Amino acid sequence: MIEQFGRGGFLLVFAVIFPLIPILASVALGIFKIRPSAPDPIKESVYECGMVPIGDAHVRYNVRYYLFGLLFVVFDVEAVFLYPWAVAYRHLGVYAFVEAMIFIGILAIGLAYAWRKRALEWI
Amino acid sequence: MNDLNLDYTLFIPEYFLAGLVVLLVVLDLYVTQVKKSWLSYIAAAGLAATAGVSLCWIDKQSNFARIVAIDNYTTYFRVFFMATGAIVCLASGKLVEDKLRHPGEFFALVILSTIGAIGMAASRELMTAYLSLELLSFSLYILVSFEKFDLRSNEAGIKYLLLGAFASAFFLYGMSLIYGVTGSTYYSDISANLSQGTDKFEWALLMGLVLMITGLGFKVAAVPFHMWTPDAYEGAPVAITAYLSTTSKAAGFALLLRLFSGAFQVVHDDWSWMIAGIAAATMILGNLVALQQHNIKRLMAYSSIGQVGYMLMGIAGLSHNTASALVLHMTGYMVSNMAIFIVIIAWYNMTGKEEIGDFRGMRERAPLLAGVLAGALFSLAGLPLFAGFVTKFILFQAVTDQGYYWLAAIGVVTSVISLYYYLQVMKQAFVIKPDEGDEALLPVPLLMNGMAAALMLGVFYVGLYPQQLFDAIDNATGFLFV
Repeated sequence: MIEQFGRGGFLLVFAVIFPLIPILASVALGIFKIRPSAPDPIKESVYECGMVPIGDAHVRYNVRYYLFGLLFVVFDVEAVFLYPWAVAYRHLGVYAFVEAMIFIGILAIGLAYAWRKRALEWI
Repeated sequence: MNDLNLDYTLFIPEYFLAGLVVLLVVLDLYVTQVKKSWLSYIAAAGLAATAGVSLCWIDKQSNFARIVAIDNYTTYFRVFFMATGAIVCLASGKLVEDKLRHPGEFFALVILSTIGAIGMAASRELMTAYLSLELLSFSLYILVSFEKFDLRSNEAGIKYLLLGAFASAFFLYGMSLIYGVTGSTYYSDISANLSQGTDKFEWALLMGLVLMITGLGFKVAAVPFHMWTPDAYEGAPVAITAYLSTTSKAAGFALLLRLFSGAFQVVHDDWSWMIAGIAAATMILGNLVALQQHNIKRLMAYSSIGQVGYMLMGIAGLSHNTASALVLHMTGYMVSNMAIFIVIIAWYNMTGKEEIGDFRGMRERAPLLAGVLAGALFSLAGLPLFAGFVTKFILFQAVTDQGYYWLAAIGVVTSVISLYYYLQVMKQAFVIKPDEGDEALLPVPLLMNGMAAALMLGVFYVGLYPQQLFDAIDNATGFLFV
């Protein structure tokens, strides 16, 4: 029991130390003048997936964002489905191969469709 | 588990339809030589050919892994839905060309929803039924809002989407309760488990039934779950209004019939009173509110709600006879309704108007369309010679045989009321003169005239020689009650 908590505690300590390493390294490199110092406002702001981090949360997204988002999700989910299929492939045989090909084929038609409809161009 | 029948050839008609979907989209996108107006003919021809192919399964009873039944009932509805889809595709050719964009997607979605509708009629298991229902609904959500830059179409689409999603959630929750008390999603197993006594889970069963009836009530637009209907019907492109009022309803009833006869017939007393109440409310409210409408699409929406009331009577007193009568009435309703919508679509294509008042002078300007309009409206009202009379007569008789005299009485009275608003439309078309300088004959396309005339023949066929059709339907519904 204690041993299990110990493992958890080790993870906790590791979780604290791990992000500290690059911060300390950065500070140390700055002190020894190895790292060049060239601050600019974008570099100093908080990084949040490319969004503006400060201000009203009700920002207007460009509607094209959703097109890309949808396409991304489709292929993301495709990858999720194909992982277990690939792992269990040897047991499943031809039948599963055909089914997966049909699945990929349908998605490929979808991609060709989106491509032709110029959904992939950021106009 | 290994003795399941995994016969993939049973779905050959559906493969054809799926192939047709891909073909239409690819033709629209990549083959620029194909004129866009041909797409509607290709879609209609494909549907008609597939309907012919599905006739190969007549009298071959089989099932796929117990989840989908291929019997005469499925075959009947395959032909029914493909015929409806083909009529809608043919009729909407010019509409799509003039008013809408993306013809490939339009016809592809109509065919996809047809596959969903067939699945609803064929499935014998709750999850399959639900998936088919969603395939139908999702296609329809898009089709309703297909007129991209029309605000009413957008409004209709979002209302239909939101309320449809609610309804699906209700249906799904009801399914989960039924699964919880019976331990199975197969209709036959549910029925077997329920027949062993329901004392232990009386309330959960009731709740499950209430939720499922609510969800399906939304889909077929029964009162009090009908509020989306007039808005969705009004905003949708007029061909899709026709499609909504036939395929979407018929699919709902096909599912209701298969589900309630297969799974819940043993607990008939637990739900028949609910359906009977809904049927009465639907008949009364649908027909009374229709009296005040001035837009033809809204009028047809309320008229279709009234018709749903008559059909629900058949579910309330569910037996082999009422099921046959219901499907017969639905077929007659489909033919009459389609005939009316062909007239509305043709008139809208030529004049761009869809108010009832705008029908004035149709007798002078498009005599054949006016004649078909009159005949089909008489059929919906239930006058003799036309389909509506004989189908309603058989339906009311079957319902009274089950002891629902009061429901049949309401049905007869509301039929008389419905004649009033149908006659209002006819008054505009026949009595009121056209505007000054607007009296010339309209150039009705041969296709529209031909389809209207053909559907009118269909109305007379059902009305005068229903025996053959009734025998086929009676045979088909017999598979529900084995």
